[in-house]
Amino acid sequence: MNLSMLKPGEKGKIRDIVMGGSLKRRLMDMGVLIGEEVKVLKKAPFGDPIEVTIKNYNLSLRKKEAEIILVTTDDK
Amino acid sequence: MITIAVAGNPNSGKSTLVNAIAGTRLHVGNWPGVTVEKKEAIFEYNGKRIMLVDLPGTYSLSPYTQEEIIARDYLVHETPDVIINVVDSTNLERNLYLTVQLLELGIPVVIALNIYDEAKKKGYRIDIKSMEEMLGVKVVTTVATEKTGMERLLSTSLKVAESPFQYHSKQLDYGEDIESIVRVMEQRIKQSHATLAERYSLRWLIFKLLEGDTHILKEINGDGNGLYFDDVVRHLRKMYGDDIESIMANTRYAKASETTHGVLSKPEIRKIELTEKIDAVILNRFLGVPIFLALMWFVFKFTFDVSTPFVDWIDAVISGPLKRWTVVMLGMIHSPAWTISLATDGVIAGVGFVIMFVPVIFTMMFFITFLEGSGYMARAAFVMDRAMRVIGLHGKSFIPMVLGFGCNVPAICATRILENQKDKVLTALLIPLMSCGARLPIYVLFVGTFFSENSGTVLWSLYVMGIVLAIVMGIVFKRTIFKGEPSVFIMELPPYRMPSFKSLMIYTWERGKHFLVKAGTYILLVSIMVWILLNLPWGVEHKKDSYLGKTGQTIAKVFKPLGFGSWEVAASLITGVIAKEIVVGTMGEIYIEKKMVETTEQKTILQDLKECGISFTMAVKDSVTNVFSTFWMKSISIRGDKKLTPLRTVIQKTFTPLSAYAFLAFVLLYMPCIVASVAMRNEFGTWKWVGISFAYQITLGWIVAFVIYQGGKLIGIG
Ligand SMILES: Nc1nc2c(ncn2[C@@H]2O[C@H](COP(=O)(O)OP(=O)(O)O)[C@@H](O)[C@H]2O)c(=O)[nH]1
Ligand SMILES: [Mg+2]
Repeated sequence: MNLSMLKPGEKGKIRDIVMGGSLKRRLMDMGVLIGEEVKVLKKAPFGDPIEVTIKNYNLSLRKKEAEIILVTTDDK
Repeated sequence: MITIAVAGNPNSGKSTLVNAIAGTRLHVGNWPGVTVEKKEAIFEYNGKRIMLVDLPGTYSLSPYTQEEIIARDYLVHETPDVIINVVDSTNLERNLYLTVQLLELGIPVVIALNIYDEAKKKGYRIDIKSMEEMLGVKVVTTVATEKTGMERLLSTSLKVAESPFQYHSKQLDYGEDIESIVRVMEQRIKQSHATLAERYSLRWLIFKLLEGDTHILKEINGDGNGLYFDDVVRHLRKMYGDDIESIMANTRYAKASETTHGVLSKPEIRKIELTEKIDAVILNRFLGVPIFLALMWFVFKFTFDVSTPFVDWIDAVISGPLKRWTVVMLGMIHSPAWTISLATDGVIAGVGFVIMFVPVIFTMMFFITFLEGSGYMARAAFVMDRAMRVIGLHGKSFIPMVLGFGCNVPAICATRILENQKDKVLTALLIPLMSCGARLPIYVLFVGTFFSENSGTVLWSLYVMGIVLAIVMGIVFKRTIFKGEPSVFIMELPPYRMPSFKSLMIYTWERGKHFLVKAGTYILLVSIMVWILLNLPWGVEHKKDSYLGKTGQTIAKVFKPLGFGSWEVAASLITGVIAKEIVVGTMGEIYIEKKMVETTEQKTILQDLKECGISFTMAVKDSVTNVFSTFWMKSISIRGDKKLTPLRTVIQKTFTPLSAYAFLAFVLLYMPCIVASVAMRNEFGTWKWVGISFAYQITLGWIVAFVIYQGGKLIGIG
């Protein structure tokens, strides 16, 4: 399950970032770390990008970037 | 001199803080060779000379964005005496992640715990004492918008800068695994590469080597040390897996988080914040886009309608009294006729041209800065990103593109809101295809002459043509020049905050000044060149024999297949470099063969001054009225319509409706004007993109005009 699959209001815990390189590093610099809790707040009017809360602040990213962030949710 | 560097996350209030400290002493420029803004100030404080350097806002010191590279190169190579680290108190953890990295550099750090008012309002309690202890630095609470804490911040920074040993930043303990590596490597580097120990903070260097930081590896490989380190790094990577970068990021965040938990106590119950309430509306599924478009309309209207009366006023003052009195004064000292002509038609016209941009540029800068500082700009990008991505652009690109319809120049300046170099350049390259107000006089002349039946449709088709071609070129550029450049959209949506008015004004002023000085020089040069072309050899009877006429004759052939191969048209197109509206003026001069004689009224200076004053009051009045009028096309009023009648008769003989339309398409596309070019050069620090812009636009313009004219003939129009 990846972050782009969560609906607004749903929470998850980051399990892995499945891509190396500068994109991963950038995500980590923004606080997207393994084990961190993340909550999807909204989708943009055209459905993409999405807005999430992480480390007590709001971050937006495109679906494409959310897809490489794997999460686990409570009910699974 | 004591050098203070200011570092911090974007949206931490860094700009506001720097403005509060330096005020109008701030100088805005660019970092060498890049599009990132550089702000610095030199001033005296307590009898000491201080140089304040505002580093670009960054979340980290990794080498992945231009801003990060600039900030860390500056810190590592210029080693300032002290770093003021601006920290947003309402978002401690992520802000302290950068602080932790700054501490690795071994440069003394003073933390400005900014936006402290908001933190207090939220009920946050921050234990300053333990924060100082945990991080081993001085902490000063500040409210940049109210200028609170600035004195103490400066005096603390000075104290720290002057006794660096006493306030030497503490090295945070990263745990035995990492620390043991540091110890071993430190020994080895000191033994075999003593020079490196002088150039870098060893601890920082070791971390960079561990992370496999290619930027740093390249830097030290220049010394021939590469092999040795490659070896060590490879060994370590084997030990710790390939993911040392993750380990480092986790360790640093752990430090930030440990500090945060140690010093911050939050109230149990969290209030629903203002930002959430506003976003529920502004980012709403159905309202988001309309609200954005309405806001854009508002900004556009303000930028152009509010400033147009002032533009017209400046124009009137310069071409009226100023020219008149220059002529009188030069006449009094018996200057030869050509100097008078050069002074008025070359120099004053050129400089006046730049000054006319003042109101537009300043108003636009003001709004853009406001939208950014308030936090809305990030939302605009969020809302528009999906749509803009089609042409390979970023969500934020929409704003400069829309401004382009008013004037390409502020639009190109506005590309600074984009973070990524590729996005900036691509947006700037497409902006000239947005049909600006200066092109309208040409449209009006030709459309009125040839298509008076359906002028609206024809005019509309030109604007649409620009937009369609921008989409096409966007896709083309995405696949060619910018092929393979990754495009990421990982952006903070900061809380809404009220920008400080004074900070806005200072920034707007500095930015505008920077543009005017730069632009003024180039435009003056080009104006003089065009004057020379048009008037030399001095005393030519016929414009055909002037240099411009000769050049026109030479290049006219090129336009033959497009349906307008006369030297007059070619010559007018050349002068259009200055601004497209000048094409009409030149045509008038060449075709009608006598200068529109300026009425040499006899007026005293006093009369003139009084009139300027009166017309200024009128401009203020008009500008205010324009705010409340709704018809936006008003901003591009049609000037001097009466004077055009003789010209209409002439062009009716030279053009057919088909070749006229091909000509209009060509004028729309053929090149950015000189002011736009200078703006582009200013933003990107190189002429390269200006060159590319000229090259692709003239090609595109030629092809489109060719297709229209030849295609039209083929299907039997014209
Ligand atoms: N309440 C409050 N707002 C602040 C403070 N400092 C800055 N701001 C606001 O925060 C927003 C972002 O500030 P800015 O200086 O543009 O941040 P930068 O991105 O770090 O340069 C602006 O609206 C500022 O007015 C502060 O101390 N208190
Ligand atoms: Mg700023």
